[in-house]
Amino acid sequence: MSWGALPPAVQALVMGGVILGALTGILAYVTLLERKFAARLQSRIGPYRVGPRGLLQPIADGVKLLLKEDVIPETADRPVFNLAPVVFLIPCLLIFGVIPFAPGIGVADLDTGVLFFLAISSLEIVGLFMAGWGSNNKYALLSAMRAVNQIISYDLPFIMATLVPVMLAGSLRLSEIAAAQSRLWFIAYPVIGQIAFVFFIITAVAAENRVPFDILEAESELVAGFRVEYSGMKFAIIQLAEYAHVLGTSFLGALLFLGAWAGPGPIWLGPVWFLLKALLVFLLITWVRWSFVRIRVDQILRVSWKLMLPASLLLLLATAATIVWRTPHA
Amino acid sequence: MPDVRAIDYAGSERLTMNMGPQHPSAHGVFRAILTLEGETVVGVDAVIGYLHRCHEKLAETLAYVQYPSIASKTDYVAAMSSELAYVMAAERIGQFEVPKRAQYLRVLMSELQRIASHCLWLGTWCMDMGGALGGGATIFLYCIRERELVLDLFESLVGARLLYGFHQVGGVRYDIPEGWTAECRKTIALIEQRLDEYEAMLDDNPFFTMRTKGVGAISRALAQDVGVSGPLLRGSGLNWDLRRNQPYSSYDDFQFDVPVQAAGDCFARYRVRMVEFRQSIRIIRQVLDGLPAGPISSRPGVKSLAQVKVPKGEAYARVEGPRGEVGCFLVADGSNKPYRMKWRGASFSNLAVLPHILIGCGVADVVAIMGSVDPVFGEVDR
Amino acid sequence: MLDRKRGIFAEAWSIGKAVGQAMRITFVNFFRKPVTVHYPTVTRPFPNRFRGLLALTYDKETGEENCIGCRLCEFICPPAVIKVEMLKAEKRNYAKTFTLELYACEFCELCVQVCPTDAIIMMKSFDLATGDRREMLLDKDRLHAIGLQHEPSWATGNLLRDMQQPPKKESKAADAADTADKAKATDKAAGA
Repeated sequence: MSWGALPPAVQALVMGGVILGALTGILAYVTLLERKFAARLQSRIGPYRVGPRGLLQPIADGVKLLLKEDVIPETADRPVFNLAPVVFLIPCLLIFGVIPFAPGIGVADLDTGVLFFLAISSLEIVGLFMAGWGSNNKYALLSAMRAVNQIISYDLPFIMATLVPVMLAGSLRLSEIAAAQSRLWFIAYPVIGQIAFVFFIITAVAAENRVPFDILEAESELVAGFRVEYSGMKFAIIQLAEYAHVLGTSFLGALLFLGAWAGPGPIWLGPVWFLLKALLVFLLITWVRWSFVRIRVDQILRVSWKLMLPASLLLLLATAATIVWRTPHA
Repeated sequence: MPDVRAIDYAGSERLTMNMGPQHPSAHGVFRAILTLEGETVVGVDAVIGYLHRCHEKLAETLAYVQYPSIASKTDYVAAMSSELAYVMAAERIGQFEVPKRAQYLRVLMSELQRIASHCLWLGTWCMDMGGALGGGATIFLYCIRERELVLDLFESLVGARLLYGFHQVGGVRYDIPEGWTAECRKTIALIEQRLDEYEAMLDDNPFFTMRTKGVGAISRALAQDVGVSGPLLRGSGLNWDLRRNQPYSSYDDFQFDVPVQAAGDCFARYRVRMVEFRQSIRIIRQVLDGLPAGPISSRPGVKSLAQVKVPKGEAYARVEGPRGEVGCFLVADGSNKPYRMKWRGASFSNLAVLPHILIGCGVADVVAIMGSVDPVFGEVDR
Repeated sequence: MLDRKRGIFAEAWSIGKAVGQAMRITFVNFFRKPVTVHYPTVTRPFPNRFRGLLALTYDKETGEENCIGCRLCEFICPPAVIKVEMLKAEKRNYAKTFTLELYACEFCELCVQVCPTDAIIMMKSFDLATGDRREMLLDKDRLHAIGLQHEPSWATGNLLRDMQQPPKKESKAADAADTADKAKATDKAAGA
């Protein structure tokens, strides 16, 4: 029974299963990549004792978290507390459903791919707030309140920044955006491409609660923020979800700006190039993370509303003007 | 005297949050009971004493030859300055002369200690502000990397890295070994280079300046009234440095600038300490160039408990430690143990400014301010 | 963050420049050799004067114990961790028992400094970790064993006291140069 003969629903299901499986493996090793990269930035070696050059470290971490005691505070709101990690995880995994990993390979190639991605990825706020509320902990509550503020504020400039490649490609469908970069990657588009990429990175860092915008988990003040009461596998799920979100945004960035699967070599090497580009974006976000101190929540919001939003609106206007100017009139 | 606002516990939105003795950014064991209204601090109740180890009583039971190594445990991050205050007080009462070489060695060690202490301050402060998983940790590890070099220097001279027992009444205990001077010059040249890197990373960094400019401003009047010292004083516009105003231990032989900033906020204190780094390096170079030959102690090395007897009298000796004025008031009664010792810890007086400047700032600013005040609770609680 | 005086484009440019500078420093550090020492596979070399474990020594020529049980170290020790009982004999005295509570020792080297016979010294080793605190209550046999197990540090009582000795009043200049030279010589002799 050939692949094409299967009904599209079954095709999507199998594809989803394969992608989820590959994703979990990649996620585990992305954490190791981040730790080693961060270590080298800090003149030290990352994990190196577990397995050859530390390659078994993620597995060791997973086993450790599995074996830890699952502590639920007595006064916590149990259903909310227990469901929160799952509600947090689902949107972060769903965003991978709409990314095409190669022309034709992907779970679903929606007409409104970009819109779906952005909408679903901001649903993680629900899980986050459930975690903060259900923990019955002042620190967690403070952190959840800050998180809602921050993610909502930065979603707008994030949308504007992703709209630039959409306008340049003329479609919301992710595979079409990737195909439209066959001549020129959008990051190489004079001025507008670079600025849009910079804005994308900034707002992505903010929307994912990474330093310098990670006030909601400011360890030195709030000691892990909304995650403070979680231990064991629930904590592992929350961590996994956060990294999945970062990786998903990196894939989106690679697709929107870096040409997705375009690269030298045969066509089946495409997904590998895509992964490498996504890891490049991920390392860029990580490099930003490990270079700066964090700013206060009111400053974060000020940057968003007073700087990023007007700037990204201006950028959209400029993009529209450029497109009109460069389109030959019929 | 500016009035401290009394804490008003009435009000519906008030939240009492305990930044407890165990806290990642408490800089030691410090308990601040913050009353918050939303994100603004409206009241602070500081509780100290978690590290009280009865130093002053201990000094009454230990002889002058035994106590210096214990004195280093008050301000354990800047142990050399702490020991120096004690032995200077004893020498002042007994009119003991300290040979020139010993004085120069004391200056050398104090300035190296200042560099090490400021390295730790910068690293931990940035880590508090930037997170253990983030840029703060990066700067922390860079600073610790440099501090390790200085501690290696101490280790090859004294044998210990953190708590030395270097001073004794009448001089110092250890002389410079072969090859130490060259190593020292290499190290401070490297640190000077790395300082350029830190300043490049932080000085114009908008994230850093947003967190530190305008935050925790201590006015000049407040600084004078409350009795702060060290970088807090100089960051608020007062030009006072004990090394220049009341020179001790041959400090007047050396040329160095004393940084003063007018703004009084965290950024001003940061700039003061960064300039102090470079001035310390300058002093060290002058010491190494001009180190005279000679004995390192005017009294023979410790052979027995009853060796050092200080005649009756009392004296207060003050040194400019990295955190401010460290003082030791000794009352001697002619025996080999002091009758009474009173320790003035710099951080104890510096912390007194907290209820005045923490009111009205956000929770995140509390962390930035605590870090820029740079307390070490060994000398707060003694 | 926004400085009204300079205008938004100049401000944005300066922010971008500063951010780029900070990231450049981190990038530069990426290529530096890590400073990690792979302890415990690799131990860094101890400096000559390292103040580590304490030990009792034997005389190099005769093989006798150096300790004469004079109890000077017991009296000088600030945290009072040393307990010595003297055993009188014909030619010289010995220490009948010598206990040192290593868990309370503050490694100040004062006992080494006062010892008239260079009996107690410190070693170039700090491997103290143990699961049972009683193992850190060192008795005389244990102290002698430590003395044979590890490499001794430079400092002994006589060397330290010589280093700190002020010159005789007669010829200050000659003795001054002498002291500095002696310090160098003793360090070289005890050498790496």
